Amino acid sequence: MTRAITLVRLALRNLRRQARRSAITAAAMIVGGALMIFSLSIGDGGHEQWIESGARMGSGHIAIQAPNFHKSRKIDDRLSSSARGAAESALRRPEVAEHTLAAVPQLAVVGLASSPTGARPAQIIGVDPIAEAEFSILDDKVIEGRYLQPDDRLAAYVGAGLLEGLDLRLGSRFVLTAQDADGEIAGQLVRVVGVYRTGVPEVDEAVIHIPLATAGSWLRSGDDVTTIAVLLDQSSRVRPVSRILERELSAEREAGNLTVLGWREAMPVLDAAVRIDDLGNYVWQGIMFGIIALGIVNTVLMSVMYRKREFGLLQALGFTPRQTGGLIVTEGVILTFVSGLIGIALGLFLTWYFFRDGLDFSFAWDEEWSFSGIAMDPVFVPLFRVTRVIQSLVFLFLIGTFASLYPAYRATRIDVAEAMKFER
Amino acid sequence: MLSRPWWRIGWRNLGRNRRRTLITAAGLAFGYLAVVVLIGLMDGLTAEMIESGTGVLSGQLQVHDIEYRPERKIYDTIGGRDGADVERLVREVAADPVVEAAAPRVFAGGLVSSGESTVAGILMGVDPQLEAGVSRLMDSIVRGRSPADGTNEILIGTEMARQLDVDVGFDELVLIAPAADGSMGYDLYTVSGVYQSGMAELDASYAVMPIASLQILVALDPGRIHEIAASVTDPWLAPEAADRLTAELSPLDLDIEVAPWTELRPEMLDYAQLADGWRFVVIFIVFAIAIFGVANTMLMATYERRREIAVMLALGTTPFSIVRSVLSEALALGILSLAFGAAITFPVMFWFHNAPPDLSWIYGDYTIFGALIRPRLRVEYHFAMALWTGVALLITALLASLYPAARAARVPPADTLSGL
Repeated sequence: MTRAITLVRLALRNLRRQARRSAITAAAMIVGGALMIFSLSIGDGGHEQWIESGARMGSGHIAIQAPNFHKSRKIDDRLSSSARGAAESALRRPEVAEHTLAAVPQLAVVGLASSPTGARPAQIIGVDPIAEAEFSILDDKVIEGRYLQPDDRLAAYVGAGLLEGLDLRLGSRFVLTAQDADGEIAGQLVRVVGVYRTGVPEVDEAVIHIPLATAGSWLRSGDDVTTIAVLLDQSSRVRPVSRILERELSAEREAGNLTVLGWREAMPVLDAAVRIDDLGNYVWQGIMFGIIALGIVNTVLMSVMYRKREFGLLQALGFTPRQTGGLIVTEGVILTFVSGLIGIALGLFLTWYFFRDGLDFSFAWDEEWSFSGIAMDPVFVPLFRVTRVIQSLVFLFLIGTFASLYPAYRATRIDVAEAMKFER
Repeated sequence: MLSRPWWRIGWRNLGRNRRRTLITAAGLAFGYLAVVVLIGLMDGLTAEMIESGTGVLSGQLQVHDIEYRPERKIYDTIGGRDGADVERLVREVAADPVVEAAAPRVFAGGLVSSGESTVAGILMGVDPQLEAGVSRLMDSIVRGRSPADGTNEILIGTEMARQLDVDVGFDELVLIAPAADGSMGYDLYTVSGVYQSGMAELDASYAVMPIASLQILVALDPGRIHEIAASVTDPWLAPEAADRLTAELSPLDLDIEVAPWTELRPEMLDYAQLADGWRFVVIFIVFAIAIFGVANTMLMATYERRREIAVMLALGTTPFSIVRSVLSEALALGILSLAFGAAITFPVMFWFHNAPPDLSWIYGDYTIFGALIRPRLRVEYHFAMALWTGVALLITALLASLYPAARAARVPPADTLSGL
């Protein structure tokens, strides 16, 4: 223990002796650490927005559905009333309810929307107007008219793309056609009460909201729903909450009545986009720290070369080569760790101070940017996570250790007699 | 500025501590590699997005009736209600020097039913031969073949086939579509093939059939089509080709518009432009990090030599010449790093360009603006950027040595030579 303390004190003194060199290396590390935490928190914040946007436009962070529904999209694969009851009571459990922002019933079918001008395939979703307004972002994106209301009967809330495509306007009537619960093709006349625009063509050109009661009588499915969509307070809660729901609903799941689907399975394309974006971020960090690590190798190596005599003397006095190497690694690790810590703290502070309300990219693009089924918000609100800070610290620690290994190896190989021979 | 002796002194000084020089050069060379490859990957992603976004279905250039977009009404055909000489139009579009192929299309929305189940679909009438040159749809047939002209054959996506539970050879597919004259058209079709584009929405909703067959279904005369789609040798040539075609087709007096993808998909153009601007941010950040390594090395190198510098100053060398020697050393280091960097960068670029590593075993496909992107490391060559990156590297080396050079020039000769 005392030996370790001596080693640390020696290392600290050595770093102080070359204050300028240490400072320049530290500066690279501080800038790198700050950039890393900045880009990670902005990236995480962006992803959280994407996921929430995807969840609020579709079937939530978690969707409870009949096992086949996700693939078949058929009304035949709707939730039985017993399965729905079980799911709703599971959602009422306190450990689930505390993280749930909203849980809404949806009856989703694929059908044809047609007007005198033409016909388009549409995703028709029967919704509970009040609950859905809480859950969905579509009601906030209204550009004309209003969202559905509880006493609406033959009302439809339509995307701007579909409205244009069918040459409709507010108040126009059009016909929805789809296969009903009995397997017959059924039509339903509805009237446009509101128009929205999300900027995502896949949504604006296809998704129609109608009241659940209207959908139920049109499709002869009564009060049945295909999906219970659950919105959580944070995407990181998806896994624990899914696990609780799966445990609570195990009887229904084993009977093949329902399945609990996380957003990653429900929206594989968005999942891929988030993971690819993360990969890009990691590659970027890897490159930056690769360059920084080479700088550290150089600094530590030079400090070894300059101190050959000193190490020779230390070893002549009984320092083992191993302790010499340990000293070098300690120096490298202290330098990177302290400067990394400062960098991370600085990064957290600067990101929080300047960008806590969001990093605004709207000068570069307008709100019509979309990918993988979601609209990209040009304002990135950073998300600070303790796990990211710990990951970054571990990463910096590893960089410091690896960068000092080669110089340390060189130091262990110093020939004592040779090193002390000349006065330089 | 770099007269010969200083240049040689600088170069030789690099050789004094070869290991240090190599590590520093490795840092800069790695920075060069990173910047060039990252920019190549960004360009590759943009190119992939444009190719996939325009190549799978829409083509890089489209001719419509001036009223057709954005409503896409079924009766807004080229040439209005009288239609046009389709064959001649297609020939004229295809005759443009950069256009590879052009094909006529008719669109309608309708229900597709197998009896057991029914789905809504977008019906697309095409000329099967010409279409193969424009979109990738005909190349992505996984079972069966494309529909033959003059028949009621239909090509559907894998997802639609699964939802309808039908496969190649099924001959009782019922199509129901609102027609241009306000009536309802319906007919029986045979599934000739199944395609898989990889885009779920496309595979679930687009059904392709011979153009004449769809015209009959939705009561359009043979001369009435909605669109002529064309593929272009290089997507970036599409806007000029569109202008040229607009001029060439104007004598026909048809009230048509020729729209390149940059106009049909403005968000893709925005993205490409933003990615272009981002390149310089990448260069800046990477070299801003790399500059510390070079500064440190040069500082050490001049500090080691302060006695020697003091001797030079004592013998009458001007401080400016000292600065010059340090800067030449930095420039030589920069050139060395650049050579080293280019030597490792070009093989990687060549590899990633010709055989892009495929990451589909870890990552799924994703979409940008509705364009399907495969997860692979595809790079595009960009020689101007490779050159600019080299210039940035040299500037970095010079900037990094300004402070060490200034310190070297201010070494006090007497004090340095007296004390050790």
